[in-house]
Order: sequence, then structure tokens, then C-alpha cells
Amino acid sequence: MPKPPSEDDTDFERRLNAKLAARRAEDAKRNASPNGWALGMRYGTEFAAGVLVGAALGYGADRLFGWSPFGILAGVLLGFAAGTLNVVRAAAEVNAGQSGESSDKPQ
Amino acid sequence: MIEAAGQPVEGLDVADATNPIKQFEIHPVFNFDLNGIDLSFTNSSYFMVLSAVLVTGLLWMAMGRAALVPGRAQSVAEMLYEFVAGMIRSTTGNEGLRFFPLVFTLFTFILMGNMLGMFPYFPAPGFHGFTFTSHIIVTFALAMIVILTVMGFGIYKHGLKFFSFLFPAGVPWPLYVLLTPIELISFISRPITLGVRLFANMLAGHILLKVFAGFVVMLGAAGGGLAIAGILPFAMAVALTSLEFLVAFLQAYVFAVLTCIYLNDALHPGH
Repeated sequence: MPKPPSEDDTDFERRLNAKLAARRAEDAKRNASPNGWALGMRYGTEFAAGVLVGAALGYGADRLFGWSPFGILAGVLLGFAAGTLNVVRAAAEVNAGQSGESSDKPQ
Repeated sequence: MIEAAGQPVEGLDVADATNPIKQFEIHPVFNFDLNGIDLSFTNSSYFMVLSAVLVTGLLWMAMGRAALVPGRAQSVAEMLYEFVAGMIRSTTGNEGLRFFPLVFTLFTFILMGNMLGMFPYFPAPGFHGFTFTSHIIVTFALAMIVILTVMGFGIYKHGLKFFSFLFPAGVPWPLYVLLTPIELISFISRPITLGVRLFANMLAGHILLKVFAGFVVMLGAAGGGLAIAGILPFAMAVALTSLEFLVAFLQAYVFAVLTCIYLNDALHPGH
């Protein structure tokens, strides 16, 4: 015989949900803090490497073809663009990874 | 400092013990010289060989008595396999599994190297620990292995079409003057980001750890109330040690994941 949900049952549901929510928050916190550091490091190196490679190529062109100082000027600007492109791509990868991973989470 | 005979030596010891970058010194274990090229077997080489031997040996032992119902060691080995295989499958699909040996080797080698680096003292020449992944030449060489594999396989599989990434589709052609150099720089910067990230994380973490550990020694040497204050950096060093274990795993994982992502570009160019 189906029992109507008593005071006890709803109380259990409520306590279970509270426990689950607390557990999820804890998990999210544990996952978020290392990811934040790794993520910052990732974006930082992506951008810096773009600028450095651009500058190095520009400097090389200066030395090889005697374009000084225009090689390094163009190189740094293109490197800046490439670094930005790297960051955008990295962000897209990270977002793609997260949406697949955390699709069950409310948001 | 210099009044007693024993004092300067002790002072030197404290300075040595608190030097945060002494741990990165490379010492030859035995010298080897090839026509003026220094090919000495160093403590760095020692830890690399040890890492490779340990990974191979432990996996060998774990899988030595391969049972249908795995024991503890076998479960760990199988979990490691499944972990790396799952990582490759999720980023490159099933055809990426042909690169499983490469990714698995890189991941376990770096992971073991990072973890061996967490030993402050170690049965090694000089008796101190060493993290070979904290040297940029090592991480850069590992990154070059990845990028050269990607380029070699991409060209072998797709020929000149592999270079289509230099000419993004759906763009009016005059823009290629600007976009091709940008894409080229972006491509060249890949091995650098790959190598630098691992190197910088390990270097920064170990320096930070040693700086706080050094405070403990300095405060302890100062004595009195300051020695009690040494508890604070000690607590910090303990907390940082656990963080470093996490970073050691995370960076090996990140290196392997990025390897998969770059391999995916070689398998499916033009994405």
C-alpha cells in the first residue's frame, strides 16, 4: 500500500539534498583551485610564448636582411596577435573540455 | 661568525641549506668527453634513467602475474592504462590510440620524474634529490619530441595539406599576408609553451618550497623566540609540499593532454 509522504520522508529528502549540495560545493572547490592555477599558467605561457617567438623571428629577420628596426617591430606586433590567438584557442579548448565534463551540473 | 674555528663552517652550512636554487645544480657522476663535447653522466641523467627504470620495472612487476581478477598492483597499472587511453580517446578519438605508447611513456616518465623530485634526500650521487623536469632543456626536448612527431606524422599522412593550417579557410586572400605569419608564430610557439609550462611550474614550486624551508632553518639558527616563530614557515612548507604533489601530477597530466590535442591536429588538420 503506497504511503503518503510523511514528515519523516520529506525530512530525509531535505537532509540528503543538503548533504549532497555541501558535498558538491566541496568537490567544486577542490577541483577549482588547482585548475585556476594551471589555467592561469596556461594562458600566461601561451601569450608570452607568442610574443617571444614573434620578437625572435623579427630580430632574426633584422639580423639576416638588415631591416632593423622594422623586423622586430613587425615581429612583436605579429607575435602579440599570435599570442592572443593562442589564448583564444586555449580558452576554447578549456571551455569545450568543461562543457562535456560538467554538463550534469546546474548552470 | 669568524671567531671560532667551527663557526664559519656552520655558517656555510646554513647558507647552503637555505640556498633555494642549489637543488637545481648539475653534478657529473662520471665524466665522459667525446671530442670536446661534454657528455658526462650527471645527476640529472641519473634521475632520468631511474625514472625510466622505475616506471618499466614497477609496471613489469604489477603485470607480472596478470590475473583475471586483478590484485592491488595490477589494478593500479590497469587504472593508469585506462586513464591514459581514456584521455587519448576523448581528445583525438579512437585513431589517436596508435600514439598510445608515446603519450603513455611521456606521461609516466614525467610523472615519475616529478614525484622523484619530491624527495628532499634520495639515494643518489650527492645524496640530494633532483627534479629533472625543472630544467628547461629537458622539458623543451620532450616538447620537441611531441611537435616533431606531430609534424612528421601530419606530413606523412596528409602531405602538403598539413600546412593548410597556415591558411585559415573563409578569409579574403589579401588577409593571408597578415594571417599566415600569425599562424606560423602561433605554431612555432607551441613547443615553447609546452616545455615552459612544465619547467616553470616545477621550478617555481621547488624554489617556493625551499624558500619556506630555508626560513625554518634561519629562524631555528637565530634561536630564542624566533625559533618558535619558525613553526609558521614550517606549517607553510608542509602545506606547500602537498600542493607540490598535486602540481607534480597535474603538470604531467597537462603535458599529456596537450600532446593529445596537438596529435589531434596532425590526425585531423584544418580544425
